[in-house]
Amino acid sequence: MIRLRNLAKSFDGRPVLRDLNLRVEAGEFVFLTGPSGAGKTTLLKMLYAAERPSAGEVWVAGERVDELPPRKLALLRRKVGVIFQDFKLLRSKTVMENLTFVLRFHGIAPREAHRRAYQVLKRLGLHHRQSAFPESLSGGEQQRVAIARALAYQPRLILADEPTGNLDADLAGELLSLLCDINYQGATVLVATHDHSLLDSIPARTLVLHAGTVDYDGAWPP
Amino acid sequence: MLRHRVLVSLGLAVSLAVPVCLAGVSWTVIAWLGPVAEMAGNADVVPVLLHPLMSEEQRQEWISEQRAAHPEWRVEEVSPSDLAARLTRWFPYLSDLLEDDGGMLTPLIEITTRDPESVGALEGSPAVVAIGPRSSVQRTVGSSARAVGTVLVLTSAMLLLAATVFAAVWVHLELYRHSDEITIMRLVGATEPAVRGPFLFACAAPGVVAAVLAAVGTSLAVGRLSVLTASLGLPDLRLSIPVLAMEAMLACGLPLTAAAVVLSRHAAADL
Repeated sequence: MIRLRNLAKSFDGRPVLRDLNLRVEAGEFVFLTGPSGAGKTTLLKMLYAAERPSAGEVWVAGERVDELPPRKLALLRRKVGVIFQDFKLLRSKTVMENLTFVLRFHGIAPREAHRRAYQVLKRLGLHHRQSAFPESLSGGEQQRVAIARALAYQPRLILADEPTGNLDADLAGELLSLLCDINYQGATVLVATHDHSLLDSIPARTLVLHAGTVDYDGAWPP
Repeated sequence: MLRHRVLVSLGLAVSLAVPVCLAGVSWTVIAWLGPVAEMAGNADVVPVLLHPLMSEEQRQEWISEQRAAHPEWRVEEVSPSDLAARLTRWFPYLSDLLEDDGGMLTPLIEITTRDPESVGALEGSPAVVAIGPRSSVQRTVGSSARAVGTVLVLTSAMLLLAATVFAAVWVHLELYRHSDEITIMRLVGATEPAVRGPFLFACAAPGVVAAVLAAVGTSLAVGRLSVLTASLGLPDLRLSIPVLAMEAMLACGLPLTAAAVVLSRHAAADL
């Protein structure tokens, strides 16, 4: 599902990722961890083409992401659900609209989009806030809306950047079980986190990034 | 929220309509000044009225004599119909009087020379009824009209530049306001037409309103100027379709072009 070949990225001459080689098979559940500044977010951004690599190749779902033209990029991004660290919710739209608006791009009819969005919101305990605007939600609620949006269109690959950063332990546990369910249904899940309690909670392949390279690749704890 | 948005759009439309409208008025005045400005190039033309009782043969003979006597002159006859057309251009209220090809007009000769004073020698000729101004009044009027036209061209260019800058700034601000939304749309898999469509529409709508306002404003301004010129006995200013079409193209096209360029650059920076 994901293949990185000699991937490197630098900002203003400062290397963030160096000669990274990695393979994640379809249906895997993988944690990506490491200290702040290790390059976790940069790596995720390159997987959904929000950043271009300085060198190397990025392959996602059989497509070379770093060379895709914009039209194909949009199609690829529909296969990828991204849970952003800063939520990236549309402030001018309600919770429900934030979800249905994305489903619309996937060619889902309005009634079906509404039904599907409601189901996901209900699963995340947010159905009673469907008419609220993001600004009136707490940080945890906003994060759950961001998660709901990524899950609503049942993507083949889920990329989550610190998805539990604003959630309490109970909600974090629920989110993890939700991601496990989705993974069980066949989706590949890559979760970037520095929360070791999250890594401890389920046995999964863990990649430890350090100074821009994969320092460890295997079961947690090392 | 909607009311605020409508007010902002209306404000933008008016701000864009003003320079476009003034440019349209400038073009109309430039077109109106055209015939006068032409005088600057024919500054040394002296009109000479021949006796109305002269026959065609006598007139041709007189012209030949003048050409032979003054090879430095260019002597040309203005037909009564041409003269009638010239007069009705500047004095439209004479059209009824002159409609029969200017049959009532006396033959007019135009002598082009570098020395207009030399035409004064014809004053004693029995064939000549009157000689027109030999001073440089025509040249002054013509060059003044040309200067006014040039100033108006420059003014309209500045106005269009102002409209372009305004449209670019406005679209940048719009993009800044919607930047997150557009980025998010791209990140969740929206195609470029889906991303750009609503944004282009948001920019085009005030442009359409601006086009209508500019057309109305230009019509009113030209109407008022026409009243003024009529009271001075000058011909009417006429609002032409090409001017209105140009205004509509500018009012709609400037924000749309700016939006398309800004969105392309934003897309390139986003990927």
